[in-house]
Amino acid sequence: MKPFNFIKAAGGTQTVKQKKRTGRFIAGGTNLVDLMKKHIEQPEELIDISGSVPASIGKKAAGIRIGAMARNSVVATNPDIIAAYPLLSKAILAGASPQIRNMASTGGNMLQRTRCPYFYDPTLPCNKRNPGTGCSALTGDNRMSAIVGWSENCVAVHPSDMCVALAALDANVIITGKDQLTKTIPFKNFHRLPGNTPEQDNNLPADALITAVEIPGNAFQKNCFYLKLRDRDSYAFALISVAAALHLNGTTIVSARLASGGVAHKPWRWYSVEQFLEGKQANAQVFQQAATLVQKEIKTLPHNVYKATMLQGAIEVALQNCLNA
Amino acid sequence: MQPFFEATDYFPADTDGRVEAMAKVTGKAKYSAEYQAPGLCYGFFATSTVAAGKIVSIDTTLAKQADGVIDIITHEHKPLVPGLADETKIRESRFGLPVFHTDKIYFKGQPIALIIAETLEEATYAASLITAIYHAETHNIDFELSHPKVALKPDGKERGSLQAWQQAPRMVEAEYTIRNEVHNPMEMHATIAHWTADNKLKLYDKTQGVNNVQRTMARLFGIPNDNVEVMSEFVGGGFGSGLRVWSNTLAATMGAMQVKRPVKLMLSRPQMFMLTGYRPQCWQRVKLGADENGKLLGLYHQGRNSTSMYENFSEGFTRECRLIYTVENLKTESATVPLNLSTPTWMRGPGDCSGDFAIESTVDELSYLLKMDPVELRLKNISNEKDPETGKPWSTNYLSECISRGAERIEWKNRPTGSGQLTDGDWKIGYGMAVGMWGAGRQNASAGIKMQKDGSILVQTAMTDIGTGTGTGIQNVAHDSTGIPKNRIKIELGNSSLPPAPSQGGSTGLSSITGAIAAVCNALKQKLVDYATVVDNAYKGMNIADLLISETGISARSGNAPSISFTVLFDTNHIDTIAVEASAGPGDERQKFSFCSSAAHFCKLRVHTKTGKVKIERMVCTVDAGKVVNSKAAANQISGAAVGGIGMALMEEQNADNALGSLLANDLAGYHFAVNADAPIIEVAFINKPDFNSNPSGAKGIGEVGIIGCAAAIANAIYNATGKRLRDLPITPDKVLMG
Ligand SMILES: Cc1cc2nc3c(=O)[nH]c(=O)nc-3n(C[C@H](O)[C@H](O)[C@H](O)COP(=O)(O)OP(=O)(O)OC[C@H]3O[C@@H](n4cnc5c(N)ncnc54)[C@H](O)[C@@H]3O)c2cc1C
Ligand code: SF4
Repeated sequence: MKPFNFIKAAGGTQTVKQKKRTGRFIAGGTNLVDLMKKHIEQPEELIDISGSVPASIGKKAAGIRIGAMARNSVVATNPDIIAAYPLLSKAILAGASPQIRNMASTGGNMLQRTRCPYFYDPTLPCNKRNPGTGCSALTGDNRMSAIVGWSENCVAVHPSDMCVALAALDANVIITGKDQLTKTIPFKNFHRLPGNTPEQDNNLPADALITAVEIPGNAFQKNCFYLKLRDRDSYAFALISVAAALHLNGTTIVSARLASGGVAHKPWRWYSVEQFLEGKQANAQVFQQAATLVQKEIKTLPHNVYKATMLQGAIEVALQNCLNA
Repeated sequence: MQPFFEATDYFPADTDGRVEAMAKVTGKAKYSAEYQAPGLCYGFFATSTVAAGKIVSIDTTLAKQADGVIDIITHEHKPLVPGLADETKIRESRFGLPVFHTDKIYFKGQPIALIIAETLEEATYAASLITAIYHAETHNIDFELSHPKVALKPDGKERGSLQAWQQAPRMVEAEYTIRNEVHNPMEMHATIAHWTADNKLKLYDKTQGVNNVQRTMARLFGIPNDNVEVMSEFVGGGFGSGLRVWSNTLAATMGAMQVKRPVKLMLSRPQMFMLTGYRPQCWQRVKLGADENGKLLGLYHQGRNSTSMYENFSEGFTRECRLIYTVENLKTESATVPLNLSTPTWMRGPGDCSGDFAIESTVDELSYLLKMDPVELRLKNISNEKDPETGKPWSTNYLSECISRGAERIEWKNRPTGSGQLTDGDWKIGYGMAVGMWGAGRQNASAGIKMQKDGSILVQTAMTDIGTGTGTGIQNVAHDSTGIPKNRIKIELGNSSLPPAPSQGGSTGLSSITGAIAAVCNALKQKLVDYATVVDNAYKGMNIADLLISETGISARSGNAPSISFTVLFDTNHIDTIAVEASAGPGDERQKFSFCSSAAHFCKLRVHTKTGKVKIERMVCTVDAGKVVNSKAAANQISGAAVGGIGMALMEEQNADNALGSLLANDLAGYHFAVNADAPIIEVAFINKPDFNSNPSGAKGIGEVGIIGCAAAIANAIYNATGKRLRDLPITPDKVLMG
């Protein structure tokens, strides 16, 4: 690890003023420290935000506000979250391990980098790590790579489980910019597709600080499910994950939310499927039909052809499980 | 919930914990990297970024300027190790990778420099500043592409003839592949090297055999064995990775010589993936013929495994098929395929584990072809009486009993006879089984006992305890042999200055050491009789079997010799301690008999038809390992091995990029071994019948058989559930779905 300076954040809007371009905020450190050990990140200064960025979870008139420093384990077990946003709790609990969730913060989780194996080995070409060196995964091991929204420059997927639920639940990200002004970024616009600039994972302005995430109220409490398929049953990133939520009136679907992890450079919403489901009956046949719709959107790579089949099955199973929940 | 293991009539479930448990759970137990030495400094490897070629130059300028850097060892700047002084010596040393004694690059990740600094952080950072220019050559790490080009050679004696059974009424033939797997024990390989004098070396080293390290280092540095002291008191797992001396031990010792201070060198987790061996990938083909009644007529087993460019390592996976079944006609062939990777090594159930997957999948396939229960097919063909390879009678072999008991326990009668018949919604349910065997070896070993005036004893041996419970096993045997209460028996292990013992590997550890323990206990009793005779002549000539040892003193089982307290015994003889040492090893019995441990593995699982997910519901392992001398540790060995087997079957795979010549995802998040969530409670049962030809304790080796057969049992259950015969390990969800 390259030697660095370590300071405590000043708090409030002062924190962003402290931040230099070569510095990094550190929250739980579960991703950043690993990246530093591998010399992928070499910040000159770490600003510890753990004592100053809010960690509280509070109900608001039209939803809930989760402080950016709220730990993943705290969010997942918070009674208000469990009561009003069970999908979020389920998704968080499907990720990492209890130890990591105890450290991991809400803001840090959103900003965690991809787990593409090439990205983690500085001796190998990777556009995301070293722009212009090429994408090794495109022609190499892309078993875990994207099947939608990728570009020739990068086929990596966003690794978070929590973010899949936040995408499905139409969350908003509250940030403080370098100019010390507060802004809101809709979650669906927070992460980006790789395009020609895979080095950028998201649309958070340089040096900005995430202070909170807000989720509007919804009617998905009763019928929601998070399905994660992976190479082992715990402590593994998703091959495919599906966050599914239904608002039912009797057996009729009033509205639906469907998002996936492990498929794209960002948590991916299946809007066409959601539209298809709305107004339909919630039953196995409808779910099966709905799941086939994703095939039109996806484009697999040589080693992840299976993801097309797995995704379709996963969507069907996740929707079905919304009824059993 | 099923009990953790099954207590039988032969042995009650004892409740004692491990001798080292307190030290481990309180953090008092010290592992190699946790020791201190005066003036200790830290080493870290910088490694090659290309997979093949030559080092043209190494630029250490920046690294040298970094804070805390003391020195940097490279092939151009090093203390010359006498045993590696030239190409011939390197070859003769059989050390493996001659770190810093060559400019050749054999694989990516090969150490090219050792940075020595005041702190670990400084050494690690300085290592990142090292750059090298290489004359890169074309590399090859593509096993799939390369192996068909290597000619197969006969491997072992051919039985009967290949032609004799080519018209067999029932025939199955198929190919099997297994990807690289790594050991990666929790404790990373680490060495503290300390030259206490010009020609005296002290090493704290993570190893499965201190005497092996001692001999290797003495030879390399041209000093007497006695000048090298190696300590490895606690070992955080090995699985075979500690059976060789790796580059970290050599480099730390060179470093300490260079800077004239003790040097600590611990591998990083990513370095563990290339510098401490692995189970090589392999390809196998099996052809099996039988008559209509299921009698095996012939077996043809071929295979190749990967090796490195600088050493030949043959897995020996064609051994397994020679052990289990009576087959008159048998031919085996093998070959190794050199690649630009480091040298593989023995990993739990080495060879047999890989070979067994192919053989036991094939036998399962044959059972469906015959429409015969796979249990029945096996019982019909297992060689119960004699070793089919040597023709010698088995000393003991209860494999058939393992099968019957396991079948009963998992309720094999509920298994659907055809595949794909049991469903539960989107799930398909299946049962599978397989057997595994392992030659039960024994080696020469020594042990010592020191008895204090209070009658307590310290049992000492150089053998290591790699987490297998050796210390506890020793305590139990010493207690059984002497009658001394367990709380008065202390154990000291893992130091080369203690009585020598073989490395702990190949399931021979306990078998080898218990003979020595029994012998040294007898030596102690003899000494006590001799000293007692000085006190009272009634002890003269007493048979040691008649001697009783209690908490306070000694007495005689019968006759008129009086009890003597330890105080009187020691004072009358003017002694403070009694010290004895003894050795024991295999003898004639090895000429008369063949020895094996064996196990039957049964699995019940479900497979999700839409997502490819496999969920193991039950795993039953019934094991014949002779007498169980420590039931908890034994059950722990088997359940740990079975979880390893689940990993092997369903997820373990070292990914690599062939074009780039690079391993990928070499960390514990990227390399998936099985975790608790993947495994049900493993149901372990032991036959627990002693084999006194094996050694005086009656125990046979236990470490390997727990994993041999697991992968096939799981793959066979997946077939029973789905009708998909998956022959490429690991069987990840994508393969299940698309297979
Ligand atoms: C072995 C392993 C397995 C894992 N498995 C999973 C999994 O299965 N599913 C899953 O979803 N995740 C998984 N994770 C990832 C884990 O969820 C993330 O590492 C964690 O959420 C990151 O949070 P953190 O607070 O530790 O972030 P840090 O490491 O502290 O920071 C990450 C990044 O975010 C920036 N940052 C942090 N907070 C803020 C803020 N408030 N404003 C601006 N920038 C900020 C930092 O500067 C840094 O660049 C795994 C991690 C590991 C190590
Ligand atoms: S997919 Fe993206 S992260 Fe992976 S190698 Fe390509 S550019 Fe790098």
